[in-house]
Amino acid sequence: MDAQAPSLTVAIPNRHAERRWLPTAWSGLLIVILAFLVLYPTAMLLIGALTTTNPVVEGYHFADLSISNFLTVATNPNVGNALANSMIACGGGTIVAVLIGLSFAWVVVRTNTPCKGLIASAGMLPLFVPPLVAGVAWSILGSPKTGLLNLLAAKAGIPFHIDLYTMPGMIFVFGIYYAPYVYMFTAAALKNMDPSLEEAAEISGASALRTMATVTFPLILPAIISGMLLSFVVMLGIYGVPAVLGAPANISLLTTYIFALTAWSPPLYNTAAAVAVILMIVTGFLVWMQQKVLSGRSYTTVAGKAFRPRPLNLGPWRFLTLALAIVYLIVVVILPSIALLIAAFRKFLFIRDIPSLFDAKQYGWQHFIKMFDNPLTITSIINSMKVGVITAIVGGILAFAIGYTVTRSRAPWRRTIDIITTIPVAIPGLVIGVAYLWAWIGLPIGIYGTLWILAFAFVARFMPDTVKVLSTSLMQIHRELEEAAWICGRGTVGTITSIVLPLARPGVVAAMTLLFILAIRELGSSLFLYSSGTMVMAVQLLGYYEGGNIGITAAFSLVQMVLLGILITITNRISRGATPTGPVRTG
Amino acid sequence: MSAELRVENLRKVFPPTKGTPLAKAAIDDVSFTIAAGEIVVLLGPSGCGKTTTLRCVAGLEHPTSGRIAIGGTMYTDPQAGVLVPPRARNLGMVFQSYAVWPHMTVRQNVAYPLKARGVKRSEQAGFIEEALSLVELSAYTDRPVTQLSGGQMQRVALARSMVYQPQILLLDEPLSNLDAQLRLRLRDDLRRIIKRVGLTALYVTHDQQEAVVLGDRIGVMRDGLLLQLAAPDELYNRPADIFVAGFTGASNVIAGRLVSRDGARGDVAVAGETLIVRLAGDTAAGSAVSVALRPDNVLLEPANAGPNQFPGRVTSRNYQGTQTVYEVNLLGQTIEALEVGSSIRHAVGDAVTVALPAEVCWGYGA
Repeated sequence: MDAQAPSLTVAIPNRHAERRWLPTAWSGLLIVILAFLVLYPTAMLLIGALTTTNPVVEGYHFADLSISNFLTVATNPNVGNALANSMIACGGGTIVAVLIGLSFAWVVVRTNTPCKGLIASAGMLPLFVPPLVAGVAWSILGSPKTGLLNLLAAKAGIPFHIDLYTMPGMIFVFGIYYAPYVYMFTAAALKNMDPSLEEAAEISGASALRTMATVTFPLILPAIISGMLLSFVVMLGIYGVPAVLGAPANISLLTTYIFALTAWSPPLYNTAAAVAVILMIVTGFLVWMQQKVLSGRSYTTVAGKAFRPRPLNLGPWRFLTLALAIVYLIVVVILPSIALLIAAFRKFLFIRDIPSLFDAKQYGWQHFIKMFDNPLTITSIINSMKVGVITAIVGGILAFAIGYTVTRSRAPWRRTIDIITTIPVAIPGLVIGVAYLWAWIGLPIGIYGTLWILAFAFVARFMPDTVKVLSTSLMQIHRELEEAAWICGRGTVGTITSIVLPLARPGVVAAMTLLFILAIRELGSSLFLYSSGTMVMAVQLLGYYEGGNIGITAAFSLVQMVLLGILITITNRISRGATPTGPVRTG
Repeated sequence: MSAELRVENLRKVFPPTKGTPLAKAAIDDVSFTIAAGEIVVLLGPSGCGKTTTLRCVAGLEHPTSGRIAIGGTMYTDPQAGVLVPPRARNLGMVFQSYAVWPHMTVRQNVAYPLKARGVKRSEQAGFIEEALSLVELSAYTDRPVTQLSGGQMQRVALARSMVYQPQILLLDEPLSNLDAQLRLRLRDDLRRIIKRVGLTALYVTHDQQEAVVLGDRIGVMRDGLLLQLAAPDELYNRPADIFVAGFTGASNVIAGRLVSRDGARGDVAVAGETLIVRLAGDTAAGSAVSVALRPDNVLLEPANAGPNQFPGRVTSRNYQGTQTVYEVNLLGQTIEALEVGSSIRHAVGDAVTVALPAEVCWGYGA
């Protein structure tokens, strides 16, 4: 090349020496942000559990910190009762979920049941239904007096009666809606299992049943336990289902009990904090167990190559498995949808006889019109969208910064940052709500009562999932692509904007839309953080339900489901191939 | 624009990790100088420290101690607190994975370093054209790189690394991801292109053939040590170390004891016979030695009688078409002999006279 070209050298070497504090400053900044989002609220929650002062009236006092305050609450029989109820409901729900999820996984992965693909994808639908909506739909179907199923059975003269306002009712609804978690774990394990392991057992003389009991089942046991623990943890943090199904029968779970404490007059913030801490401890323990099961006991049956599992030929029995799958789909997807549609469009939910169910004169838009006459409806939708956007942007940027720092940079304290980021995994949404309440309600100037506190709580709550999605897509970018840009003369920031961000875009978009969707459907933490001016959709729906108007409740549920459906479709469009693969804690 | 590279007493110790509880030196006191316009190849098995050395020169790794100067300017000197980041070193680098950016076209890839240097748009085109014509990719300027073959991608990477006339070109196993045929062609192209531009180049590989064809000098590394840095023919004919001898193909090793020495000539006692060898080091008489020689230097049934000839017996034959490898039992051990040509001259069980020419029998202290 010709030598008298314009000078192509860059920069004077020396100016870089004085900027070596920068990585340290950057890590420090991230830790400060994480402390603000995660550590400070958690610490305030713990302090709240150890005091008896009311933060609203008296501000924060740290003088009377004592474990005895916490013990008083922990030994209260009502708390014990709520804890026991939670364990029974979630434990029962988990058993149902495992039975359904495991058989579904087996049917889809290992048998020649027709329409397997359809069953598999339809089986995941319950994951997208907000628990409150599920609760509302099932209360329309199965309330003891006015439940549609009970009414229709009576009119048709069938001796059938169900009452979902009971513990078994909650267990049933929990079980059918959280079966997909167990399904996801066990189906993956079944798919990744080397079929020759089973063939070896059969060649050794074991019958098909014996093979299943002695080889297949033990091999996927870690996956089953892991899925079981995860679904238990998620159920434990759910507010919507027990609020709708448990409240009429006075069955308190930890979540509904915590909220009731703050709704009393005067609100018992300290007690709520203490119960929230109990919930957090139980959740933390279970999450820790799940991590242990996932890391330690899982057998390496995955060799990194895809196996084609040998499907079992069920013969004519395959139609029985198909029928069972269809029954599940009817129960989980179709019945609740019909219930919501009927309740939303029918003038009166009372059904005189079967023909009147199909009488067009009984149907109309009146509930929707009434719903939109209430200004709070529109306000809550707009607020939810705003919070969703803020959460997606703030959370997306922060998660990218954390993911990049932890997976790609050489900045100091990366491990610390990683650990703080993972903490919210063990904190149910409702507990985050109480923690943020404690953190901000006593401060005269602050973010309490604004949309920002909701957004910050959501960012903190969903941080582990978002960072995981982003880190996965960052790790797929070969290191040398970045190094090549440095060699070419670009600095860190220039390399990130010109190389890393464009290449990680599908992951970034997936993470941000995921955040948006999770934020607009989040109920647990919103309950404690909304104010009259910052009403959000999920809370407004609960308001309609508690107001007793089932028509408007159903109509608003439909509106939310349609909105969510549209958003999820858009998400799948723009981030095709980059959607998160792991299960996300929702609810 | 090419410059001299000096590496002095380079040492890199990785902190202990779970897998390796003891801190181990990845590079141990490596020093060498590459003259401006010279191509030096670092050759060695994986884990020998050759890539770490290259990455230290690039500024992608920070050495524990030692100094790296390019064109007289100190770029790395941890003791003096000098660690210039890669972006300010004005080096070109070709990566093992090509590292061409998949979201850009060929032109955008090659233009990237020019943009980073603030070269005016109007001036960029000339540089880009020149670089792409050098690697014969002018016809592909506006293609997305994802539509290129592996060999073409590697040439984009080469164009990108040279377009800004770097002081030094670093190449990290650039051919290892290509299939065998393409590797041969690009190997020859690479040397031609680098020589035409006149760049100083540091090239890292584990492939001896590549090293011999590409390098003006070859440095053989093992366990973080630079064992020998020499011209290819010297490396092959006068290996300084038993490992270098083995790595360049001297796979026959005969163990014996040095009886006497006279300068570089030594008499080695092996199984009651005396083997005349050339000594590489200052091994003292009486000590154990290993004698290395290449299978192709072993002569079966030599035409003339001479020293270093011993009776042997063929124990196996491996016919490979254009050459035949025999295993021969002599001096109480088995050694390999390679005969070029498509004809088979000996059968298993044949008694043969074996000549081990003294000038290619290299003795090293064991």
